[in-house]
Amino acid sequence: MDSDKLLNLAVSLGCLLAESGAEISRVEESVYRLLNAYGGEGAQVFAIPSCLIVSLTAEDGRPVTRMRRIGAHGTDIELLEACNALCRRLCRTVPPLAEARALVDRLPGSCRRHRPATVLLGYAAAPAFFCPLFGGGFWDALSALFCGLVVGTCLLFGDKWLGRNSFLRTLVCSGVASLLSLLLVRAGLGRNVDVVTIGVLMLLVPGVALTNAMRDLVAGDTYSGLSRTAEAILIATGIALGAAVGLGVGQIL
Amino acid sequence: MELFFQYLLPCLCAFAGCIAFTLVFNIHGPGKLIAGCGGGLGWLVYLLVGRTILAGFFAALAISLFSEIMARIRRCPVTGYQLVALLPLVPGGGIYYAMRYCLEGDTERFLSTLLDTLGMAAALAVGVILASSLFRTAFPLLLRVRDAAGRRQP
Repeated sequence: MDSDKLLNLAVSLGCLLAESGAEISRVEESVYRLLNAYGGEGAQVFAIPSCLIVSLTAEDGRPVTRMRRIGAHGTDIELLEACNALCRRLCRTVPPLAEARALVDRLPGSCRRHRPATVLLGYAAAPAFFCPLFGGGFWDALSALFCGLVVGTCLLFGDKWLGRNSFLRTLVCSGVASLLSLLLVRAGLGRNVDVVTIGVLMLLVPGVALTNAMRDLVAGDTYSGLSRTAEAILIATGIALGAAVGLGVGQIL
Repeated sequence: MELFFQYLLPCLCAFAGCIAFTLVFNIHGPGKLIAGCGGGLGWLVYLLVGRTILAGFFAALAISLFSEIMARIRRCPVTGYQLVALLPLVPGGGIYYAMRYCLEGDTERFLSTLLDTLGMAAALAVGVILASSLFRTAFPLLLRVRDAAGRRQP
């Protein structure tokens, strides 16, 4: 058993899991099970949303540790399910390390993804369907559809100008959403500015961060839970600030 | 007819909205339907209990139980279904109205809306925490009971 290769394999799989949006307890448990299945001795795993540390005892008794910084988090449920299934399979069948390594490396590329046009359709349809929940009528839903289309375009293709800073991105998108809703209602398409804006803002609300924070807290990962709660509060602040800017600009126009 | 506009239509909207969100979060296959049903179910509970913070708590409880059960059946991570189904309940409106009252200088309504928003977020959180903890404790027991019954029968 080559403990260096095993360590690299485990860290890669753990990172993929964390980046696709898994809870911290799932990342830790998956890596731990994988190490145990391959007979790694003295396996220790520690993860927080931005970092993964895995430690093992090598054959000659030396402790080996690898730390990896986890980059930006997305939410990619299909990749998450694929990683989870692969981890179960590796633990059950225990193929040679080189083969397992190839399977893990192939995972992100072979995962099914929706085409950008389909994702954009999702971004447009979600606010349109959420509008009636907050008391909007047909015309409000239609304006929310247009706003959702524009905000979705910003979210999908705006990486170049907005950078990877999620606070700034949320702020700008929220500003665009509220300004556009105001303009569409003034143009006579929508009936109620508040309803249309709220419908579109549902695209940006920190539902993912909130749910993940709670799941981490339940599992006993207080650090991760707190850091994700902070993320949720930050996103909510970004939404409020952006919407305020959008409304302000709209009233001046 | 009243029943249709009061309960059925909003639930259908929540269902469709959640399905639209599955496109954004890259959920494929039966997961789409599960997430959508979770969203519809959550909104139904929210409406039936009466659109209060307590209703948010019960809705989060229902959604979490539903998605935990579905995830165990499909042997998949529960996160995807749960977070999509919870989205309609996240207080986006509260954030918006709090911001507006703050801008208008209406401190009283700003504070009450802010507290209401925080309360709703906390209710969702407590609902999720309670359901997940209950499920974590109860599920192994259920499995053991089923295994024991299975062993006795053949």
